[in-house]
Amino acid sequence: MNEKTILRVRDFWTSIFLIFLSVFFLFQTSYIPFLDTQVAGVDSADWYNSAALVPYGIFGAMLVLALGLLGIAIKDGGARLALQIAGIGFSKPELLRITCVCLILFFYIFGLVPRVDFILASSLLITCLIWGFHSENRLSMLISTASMATSGLYALAAHFPRSEWTKPHDDDWITLAIFIALTFMMFVLEKRNNSLTRVVKLTPLIAITAPLILVMSMAFGFRQNVPNRTGLLFSQIEYHYYVTLRPLWQGKK
Amino acid sequence: MEFIATQLSGFGTSLIGLVVDPTTYAYLIPSVFLGIVFGALPGLTATLAVTILTGFFGNKFPLDQALIALIGAYVGAIYGGSYPSILLNIPGTAASAATAMDGHPLTKSGRGGEALGITTTASFIGTLFGTFCLLIFVWVLLLVSQNIASPEKALLALFGILLSGTLMSQDLVIKGWISGLIGLAMAMVGLDPILSEERYIFDWSYLLSGFQVVPVLMGAFAIPQIMDGMRAAMAIGEVPKTLRIRPQLSEVRKRLPTILRSGGIGTGIGALPGVGEDVAGWVSYGVGKTTSKESSQFGKGSVDGLISAEAANNAAIGGALIPLLVLGIPGSPPAAALLGALKINNVIPGPTIDPALIIHIVAVLVLASVTMFLMGLFTARIFIAILRIPKTIFLPIVMVLTTIGSFSVGGGINDLFLMFGVGLLAYAMNVMHYPIAPLVIGVILGGLFDETFRRSLLISDGDLSIFVTRPGAAILLGLNILLVISQIPYFKSMPRRIFKRIAAR
Repeated sequence: MNEKTILRVRDFWTSIFLIFLSVFFLFQTSYIPFLDTQVAGVDSADWYNSAALVPYGIFGAMLVLALGLLGIAIKDGGARLALQIAGIGFSKPELLRITCVCLILFFYIFGLVPRVDFILASSLLITCLIWGFHSENRLSMLISTASMATSGLYALAAHFPRSEWTKPHDDDWITLAIFIALTFMMFVLEKRNNSLTRVVKLTPLIAITAPLILVMSMAFGFRQNVPNRTGLLFSQIEYHYYVTLRPLWQGKK
Repeated sequence: MEFIATQLSGFGTSLIGLVVDPTTYAYLIPSVFLGIVFGALPGLTATLAVTILTGFFGNKFPLDQALIALIGAYVGAIYGGSYPSILLNIPGTAASAATAMDGHPLTKSGRGGEALGITTTASFIGTLFGTFCLLIFVWVLLLVSQNIASPEKALLALFGILLSGTLMSQDLVIKGWISGLIGLAMAMVGLDPILSEERYIFDWSYLLSGFQVVPVLMGAFAIPQIMDGMRAAMAIGEVPKTLRIRPQLSEVRKRLPTILRSGGIGTGIGALPGVGEDVAGWVSYGVGKTTSKESSQFGKGSVDGLISAEAANNAAIGGALIPLLVLGIPGSPPAAALLGALKINNVIPGPTIDPALIIHIVAVLVLASVTMFLMGLFTARIFIAILRIPKTIFLPIVMVLTTIGSFSVGGGINDLFLMFGVGLLAYAMNVMHYPIAPLVIGVILGGLFDETFRRSLLISDGDLSIFVTRPGAAILLGLNILLVISQIPYFKSMPRRIFKRIAAR
């Protein structure tokens, strides 16, 4: 099956999704005052000034274009083949890899970054992505995903409420333990497979130094906000920057 | 003539001010270097370089200094994309895709060093050409823009989205338009700009202020690149050894007409709202192929072909800044990121923009192109060595950069959630061959379109004829209609049918 046919199969499903999406948002737009803009007897706006005017145009146009896309997809055989193949165009290993990448990024963004020390979370992310995806090794990819998922799930489950996000707690230690365990496992497995490459040897160094340099330059060089200032490592760095180092070079000690 | 002399004297003063200030170099050299690295690494783009630096500089640095870094990265990245194109046949950025057509055959024939030398010189002249056009045309257009009111602005924003959708689509044009509409729809979220009516909040207070530009840019341009780069382990090919890279001045002098033509095309296409460097490179390459004396050599290692693509994509930088500064409508995706930086520094581009800022931008562009030229000649070996770094090493670091950059601008975790959501959407769209640039242009111009369109109707008491009675608006409406009609299959084939009929007679 050629690429164009696969594309049309995808277009068939996308257009149906877009039709539903347009109709849903057209319905949502109907809650915004349009023709009848009277609130408590006072006319707040005319139709041409209504906040619903442009959204109606956008979702109306999207509906028309989605119908057009559906027509093209049907004409080019997308509908006929829609139920015969998945139409994703990925091989199974690629699909597994992309699912693992999605899971790792999801747990990093939603689980770790809001709750765990940013340097630790990023070190774990870098190790997971480099070791898990540099080679075609399925085992290392699955171990990396499981490590990030365990760390992220724990942070999510133990400290879900927003009020707990920036407080120092045990999930920093759990992430640190998982990062050390993953690094150790990486070396053991790669040595056993006789594939202790330069990339593997450099991974812990990159994983620790890259986020460390980034966070420090961001916080102290560019004077920008950084996530989770009360995290295990960053709180110590910040304390010693302001209490130990800064007075030293300002000549106050 | 007096006008040009005044411009040049203002520009000269600003340039000298920058040259004698040591802090200029503290920002310029690292940012141009970083830009070239971003351009050289396949998977990282000029837009991403500018967006990430926007996150770093945010609004805590004086805008003058932040602009040095952002423009430096922009110029560097567009040029840097030529390295993998020429040496590995892998375009570093979409803008340098046309460069690979003749750059790589030259490398295969052992002329890689020469190709890089020509590219460096052509890019340098191309950037200067675009900058000169920016210096002149921005004032002409600023004078014209004094007469631009809400109806023209609304139609121009719509034209930008439609044009970007039309020209950036690899598959069906309809997909580019849908992408633009998704961007416009995203811009509708939050309080509307005239009545402060809530739209699509879904009881989440974060959405009241709408989608922030920087997380959207990061999500749209970084996350899909990271996911796609990780999708399949890919070994970097052997980087060919290149001889010393010399400025090919004699060769370039011989081909000055090609450079000037390409510079003109690049600036013109760059100035079209929402189109940018990649289209400029291809169009110039196409024109070169039809007009060059060595057109038969195009695709086989033609120096003319290489110059056509490279001079145009760098000239497009200056062009892309013209609509940005005059109307607040970005000419390219990296210019959209620059607009984000201007906005978070409370600078509203348009007829009321500070003229000193325009002169400053022009001076920074000239300095950035000189820095790029010198770096291209003397530090090319570093950039060639960087090509050996596998994607799986640098993409995780980019993810951390993106996260911290996105967080810093807004200062909230919600921005990261938005970035991730937009990233997944952009990745899905990439897989289905929907262009991302119209989406981003839609998000950026959506607010402007909504406000100016409704304001036009408010002024005219709901009379739609306001869009045809004003000459500027009528022309823009005509262009919008023509653009849509020209893509309908029946009308698309009309010229061919007419010619056939004439020929039959």
